[in-house]
Amino acid sequence: MKTKSIQLEGIVIIAGNYGSGKTEISINLAIDRKNAGVAVRVADLDLVNPYFRTREARQLLSKLGIELALPPDELLQADLPILSPLISGMIRQPGQLALIDVGGDDAGATVLATLADAFAGRDYQMLQVVNPLRPNSDTISGCLNIRNEIEAAAKMTISGIVGNANLIDETTPEDIIRGYDFVKQLSDESGLPLHFITASVALLPEINLNRIACPVLAIRRQLVPPWKKADKI
Amino acid sequence: MGKVLMKGNEAIGEAAIRAGCLNYFAYPITPQSEVAEYLSRRLPEAGGVFLQGESEVAVSYMILGAAAVGERVFTTSSSPGISLMSEGISYMVGMELPAVFVNIMRGGPGLGGILPSQADYLQATKGIGHGDCRLLALAPASVQEAAEMVMMAFPLAEKYKNPVIVLGDGLIGQMMEPVEFPDHLATEPPNKDDWAVNGMDTRNSSRRNLLRSLYLDPEVLNQHNLNLRQKYERMKKEEIRFEAYNTETDYKALIVSYGTMSRVCRTAIDQLKAQGLEVGMIRPQTVFPFPEGAIEEAAEKESCEAVASIEMSMGQMVEDVQRSVKGKRPVSWFGKCGGEVPTPEEVIEFVKTIV
Amino acid sequence: MGKTFQKPEALADQVTHYCPGCTHGVIHRLIAEVIDELGIRGRTVGVAPVGCAVLMYNYFTFDFMEASHGRAPAQATGLKRVRPDLVVFTYQGDGDLASIGMAEIVHAANRGEKFTTIFVNNAVYGMTGGQMAPTTMPGQRTTTSPFGRKVEEVGMPIRVSELLASLATPGYITRQTVLKPKYINRAKKAVKKAFQYQLDNTCFSFVEFVSTCPTNWGLTPVEAIKWAEEKMLPYYPLGEMKTPEEA
Repeated sequence: MKTKSIQLEGIVIIAGNYGSGKTEISINLAIDRKNAGVAVRVADLDLVNPYFRTREARQLLSKLGIELALPPDELLQADLPILSPLISGMIRQPGQLALIDVGGDDAGATVLATLADAFAGRDYQMLQVVNPLRPNSDTISGCLNIRNEIEAAAKMTISGIVGNANLIDETTPEDIIRGYDFVKQLSDESGLPLHFITASVALLPEINLNRIACPVLAIRRQLVPPWKKADKI
Repeated sequence: MGKVLMKGNEAIGEAAIRAGCLNYFAYPITPQSEVAEYLSRRLPEAGGVFLQGESEVAVSYMILGAAAVGERVFTTSSSPGISLMSEGISYMVGMELPAVFVNIMRGGPGLGGILPSQADYLQATKGIGHGDCRLLALAPASVQEAAEMVMMAFPLAEKYKNPVIVLGDGLIGQMMEPVEFPDHLATEPPNKDDWAVNGMDTRNSSRRNLLRSLYLDPEVLNQHNLNLRQKYERMKKEEIRFEAYNTETDYKALIVSYGTMSRVCRTAIDQLKAQGLEVGMIRPQTVFPFPEGAIEEAAEKESCEAVASIEMSMGQMVEDVQRSVKGKRPVSWFGKCGGEVPTPEEVIEFVKTIV
Repeated sequence: MGKTFQKPEALADQVTHYCPGCTHGVIHRLIAEVIDELGIRGRTVGVAPVGCAVLMYNYFTFDFMEASHGRAPAQATGLKRVRPDLVVFTYQGDGDLASIGMAEIVHAANRGEKFTTIFVNNAVYGMTGGQMAPTTMPGQRTTTSPFGRKVEEVGMPIRVSELLASLATPGYITRQTVLKPKYINRAKKAVKKAFQYQLDNTCFSFVEFVSTCPTNWGLTPVEAIKWAEEKMLPYYPLGEMKTPEEA
């Protein structure tokens, strides 16, 4: 069976705890929406992580016609928190879909507060990515705690949930189903809608999609260590 | 607790707690600041001590002080920070104090860059501090192994009354992999009353303890250094660890590689096998003591034409590989040293040039 | 009738290596007396400096350790943080504390570490042979300022107690001396107060001693005392710079 389509437009901020999988989701979501005919722009607002950022996939995204807001080329590997003016520009003119990939935890979300002027009076959605196989987000109370910390640091409100249960290469179909049940429960208890969950393309055929009421974003892993190949797009 | 997905730096912090170390002093530096961030929340919750020092120099002495009272203690840093700690490390070797130092290496010299590197190999294995000074050096190649080595490092430091260094590169600290913390590596610290300056009342003793590295009498200092040497020699007998990969085949070339670089080499070896070329690998898990016997033996295999040291530095471990092979096979170096990790394709291309 | 004067239990039965006219011996004795009076010998750890007092651990009867040059406050931080029940003190000279170890002492004081520092200021590097220190007086000749300290080149001497007293964190900061008997009782009270603040877990405590170095100054012991009183005390005034009650 075919998975349901993800419905997102305008400004969409991808937040969540450290290592929850925000960047991989931003990249794959951008490609998914682009393939659906939506004009997509992506901003890398991860100022806290030194490796494995959206900027690592810049060639791929540009080739697909996805517009990127990144620090200048010569500073891409700098150990500096660089807030490109392109980002506030993108917030002011988001087009059909503007994805903003922020860094992890409240520390990573703090930069959003500095963009308050650009966000003023604009609609946005902020999604919390949850991987229940990560420490700290393995309980409902842990996830709600992270939500509060991110909201306080960003001075913005989280509006939805994305389920991203995985152990990378060691993920099983059961992990996906258990992860789905977990974020479903989180959605019920928090009152926040569950927008979609994720599963790697390799696992997708093994998952009983009838069990899952929300859309499933197929992940083609792009942020891989140097001894592995990124999944083909 | 089953497997969880963790960043290497987080796993290193958690592993120390699981190993029974509740004392951490550190100074921030990329790419390992996540250890301090993780522990700044986790240690108070576990009833431990977390303190951000004013510099790596000061941190190394906070470690020394905490080790002197007999408590398990550790710190983490990256290349430039380890240089600043090297003074304190030398004093700890001289005073025979156990502690764990983790170096998540970045490119150098100087500030270098923030991307992964293995350019502190010689520093860690031969020049960690002034004086006759050696550290047992463990080199993990995965997040799981980083966690295990941190847990193992505390009893090893106590066994030898000497600091232990865990030598990881930036990728080990930054990458995410599933990890679990083996219960059997959670050990009880030994009684340290015979040397710790923990107060005479603590040990119900009227004999005071004194910790020093100063021995003004040359004969006494000579003997002190010979005693230290005996510990290093014992490490060579008892602590060498390595992993052999594809060495059961009639390999034409032997790779010696460790840490992140060995992961790339493994992929390259698999691909070369598919192309019909067998290549073996010895992956040192301890870089001091160095698995020289295993490398010599593997190089001597009749099918083996050449040996390569593949590392993310301008060629440092290659000196140890040459020493181990003793001229029985040609030894060459391949690697990159700017923060980029060589790809499997680049390794394959290089290996084809030596056979 | 018992003995009216005896060696404190905290002091070892040793002849010290200190020169005639040096005040280290008197300061050592004050510390030992205070430790005896407070009954804390069994839980005290001393941290010795690099400087003339490098071998001071030979003169005491409780746990001791050496420090590298200037790092004693960082070491004491490590000791005290993991074993808050111990009584920890550092003993440092002016080269050790005010030059190479300035960062460590300022940050330890500013964190309000609950240990005690005894700072012996004799305006010169003693151990290494009389070189210029950060506390060397203007015009004072040393082996590295053979024409006298030129303030236009190396600045004025650092008043460490005043500098530490300027920190906003509560602390006990005092400057004393043992140049003459009349100063000694006051100095001992200050040392005792410093250790008491530590025992009460109140604050960082710091006692500076204006001291002498006849050997490197090239003066007789009596001349050295006179020089310290006339040249140093006006610039390094005695008294409490700060108490935790003020904060």
